[in-house]
Amino acid sequence: MSEVASFVRGTWTIAVYTWREGMRKKILMAILIFSVLVIAGSNFMTSFLTQVTPVGEIDMQAKQMKDLCVTAISIFGVLITIFISASVVPSEVENKVIYTVLSKPVRRFQYLLGKFAGVQLIVILNLILMTALFFVALYLKERIMPTLLLWSTLLTYFEFLIVSAFTFALSCAATSAVLPTIAGLFIYITGNLTEYLKDVFAKSGQTELWIDKMIGYISLGLYQILPNLQNFSLKNQILYLASNDPPRDILLPNLIAYGLLYAVAGYVMAYWIFRRKEM
Amino acid sequence: MPAVIETQKLTKVYESSFRSQDVRALQDLDLTIDSGEIFGYLGPNGSGKTTTIKLLLGLIFPTSGTMRILGSDDIGAAAVKRRIGYLPEGAYYPDFLRGEEVLRFYGHLYGLGGSDLTRRIDKTIETVGMTGARKRMIRGYSKGMRQRIGLAQALLSDPDLLILDEPTTGLDPIARKEIRDILSNLRDQGKTLLISSHELLEVELISNRVGILYNGVLQTIGTVDELLTQRDVLIHITDPTGGLIAKLNTAGLHVEDATATKMVVRVPENLSVYDALEICRAEKATIQSIAPRRETLEELFVRVVGAAENKTLA
Repeated sequence: MSEVASFVRGTWTIAVYTWREGMRKKILMAILIFSVLVIAGSNFMTSFLTQVTPVGEIDMQAKQMKDLCVTAISIFGVLITIFISASVVPSEVENKVIYTVLSKPVRRFQYLLGKFAGVQLIVILNLILMTALFFVALYLKERIMPTLLLWSTLLTYFEFLIVSAFTFALSCAATSAVLPTIAGLFIYITGNLTEYLKDVFAKSGQTELWIDKMIGYISLGLYQILPNLQNFSLKNQILYLASNDPPRDILLPNLIAYGLLYAVAGYVMAYWIFRRKEM
Repeated sequence: MPAVIETQKLTKVYESSFRSQDVRALQDLDLTIDSGEIFGYLGPNGSGKTTTIKLLLGLIFPTSGTMRILGSDDIGAAAVKRRIGYLPEGAYYPDFLRGEEVLRFYGHLYGLGGSDLTRRIDKTIETVGMTGARKRMIRGYSKGMRQRIGLAQALLSDPDLLILDEPTTGLDPIARKEIRDILSNLRDQGKTLLISSHELLEVELISNRVGILYNGVLQTIGTVDELLTQRDVLIHITDPTGGLIAKLNTAGLHVEDATATKMVVRVPENLSVYDALEICRAEKATIQSIAPRRETLEELFVRVVGAAENKTLA
């Protein structure tokens, strides 16, 4: 077998193993089941909320249902992403599986690539499951193909990919999943608030104090460096456009490239930490 | 005979935030293990055995010194790792997999596949005596079965060098014997084995050479025959008289297993057997047998570690 084929087989083996092991984690299954229940029951739940608004009731119900499902996918999806990204490497160090794997002809780069690919398999699979349910629920409600939802899911995945890559990188330096999980939540929240950093810069300098200016420049620097996860959100379009409209005002290839660039940066950071990590 | 493992001045220091709290886990280790040897690597907990193994496998990095494994300086190279099998102490194997699935997973990591891998899995499972349990889930395995499947993953690539960390710890006597038999077979096949263990009897039974490590320093190394040099003589006596024990003790002889009707006198190597016999004859004791007794590895271990400990305290 050639070196390339051997590399691909080894990486894929680690990825599939990571996926199989990850899907057995009880907390992940609990989050997934809860999200499925919320999405599947969204129509039922929103029917109670809209009882007092007879005018345009159906539209309002659909909007609330979309709101609930998009929010559920975002929240539960990111929780699954962060939890699994934060735990795959530390848990293998803890149970010593990593010793037997790295003592085989497996480079550290390859090991990390396999683990990261395994994490992405889990994230993608969960996202597909949640989206499929939402898709069916929305189709049954509106009787039109909600194609906009598919675009939204694609962008949501790239948002999760960025969060996953940096959480994964931090987990390579950690001995347990606790700190990387907290850091992952911080990354997600900060990434969704970067627009505020631009506002801070715009409003800085009004007092002429040096500290005011410095905070402004730091905010601008962070705005330039941190990923803006809001770019990946089509929530408003899902809520206010028809479900089969194409997405508006976005450059899809650019956003995908933007997501991939940050994901690669996160992976490189993970490798840089892991290449000299002592087991 | 070519060296399979060669280390020179190998040192590992685990650094902490404060230099005074640095831990010197291994210090100036000069170790050579030749092809076909079974090397018993002994030492109390925390002596640096596992640190050495992790260094040899590239799981941690040396502070100073050099290593060569299977003639190569690049211990991370795939070509080198393909020729090494490793069984870690207390390793976990995913309990949602079957025994043969675990081996298939590790086989793929070796770059093996297809009929070649299937053939190797069959052979390895047979070698470790797991044919009947190969399709069972790991979660249903006993500790001994898990250890055997661990040994199987280490043997899968038909490695030239096997590194085994505590291969028999925690196993019942039958499982220990089975593992020992497997290792003896591997020795007969010409494999090189590095065995780190606390089970001194096991090591004594199968090793060609042993090294004893204490506090990160190799205290002694040599063949079992070279190291177990202390040879006492045991004199079995019946009908001992009351004054005999006192006289023997005064002469520096050790009385063991004394009862009213019999006892054993151990004559250390530095004392004369004739003097002991003379005392027994004078006391009219009946001598049943006189037999030489070689020091055990356990006694050597206690002696060497004890001396090193005293030296450290002094």
